[in-house]
Amino acid sequence: MSEARVSARPEWGTLIGICLTFFAIGVTVNVLVYEHVGSAVKTIAAAGIVLSATSELAYIAVRDVGGSVLAALIAGWVVASRFGLLAASLGTRIKVGHFQRSCAALNCLDPNVGVAMQQPTPAGVMTAFWWVTGALHLGWWCGTFAGVFLGNIIGDANRLGLDAVFPALLLAIIANLLRQRPGFVAAVVGGGICAALLPIAPAGTPIILSLTGAIVALKVPEQKAAST
Amino acid sequence: MTWTIIILLAVGVASLRLLGMYGGTALVRRVPMFERLGSLIPAAVVSAVIAQLTFASGKSLTIDARSAGVAIAAILIWRRAPIIVVILAAATITALLRL
Repeated sequence: MSEARVSARPEWGTLIGICLTFFAIGVTVNVLVYEHVGSAVKTIAAAGIVLSATSELAYIAVRDVGGSVLAALIAGWVVASRFGLLAASLGTRIKVGHFQRSCAALNCLDPNVGVAMQQPTPAGVMTAFWWVTGALHLGWWCGTFAGVFLGNIIGDANRLGLDAVFPALLLAIIANLLRQRPGFVAAVVGGGICAALLPIAPAGTPIILSLTGAIVALKVPEQKAAST
Repeated sequence: MTWTIIILLAVGVASLRLLGMYGGTALVRRVPMFERLGSLIPAAVVSAVIAQLTFASGKSLTIDARSAGVAIAAILIWRRAPIIVVILAAATITALLRL
């Protein structure tokens, strides 16, 4: 492994944190999905081939309030559209063949793209991306099996504060972006728009419209923010 | 959730990811302004996800134990604490406030 690849690998503490967080998400989400689906095989298959906890939850949420199958599917797809945006962003920074590019696209999630995009070189981006992807898959799969087979023992996972873990992890991941003025503006405007629209807009659309934050930040000159 | 639904959900999500990687990337590369936009998208989109996960309760916004946990996490991140400390503190504070 070259020196560049070693330096691009995230710190072990970061990888362990991501792994633990995805374990917590895997448990929390798959206890709910298992309750809804009623089949361990389907729950595990959905965890693996959909690879989007928010899509599964959006589908279940719409069905639970009496929405049609089509409406629930559309909600699931819309909340996953952010992965397309993240994939587009990642795609501009990598120089790999179609096979690896497609594999990367299918694994695009918030943490791995968030960490990878902070690397200065295309090789570093891919190295960081795959390390984080490995860590989150390890946590996600262990959490999925724990949620399906030990759900009854664990009970309400939110009682353990696990619902605060994912936003905390994401905040830590984009912390470096927030220390630069354009990234800070993009985050504040994007987050603000999403929060403002949550009560009134259909599921998933506030996150898509948060793109406006990135557009607004284009007008901000690139320079270090004052101590944040 | 039937097998058909699981497959439709999976195909839709995978298509969006591939569309972003190929279609979105091509668009970003063709228009120079989009190149910088691409680097700002993660900050905007991820912060929107954070806002939703921190304050959403169904279709309403709430400040609760979870928000307090994330606020503590934010302070620790600002103080450059390790990620493992950040997530453990967020979970602990949230759980304690729910006792």
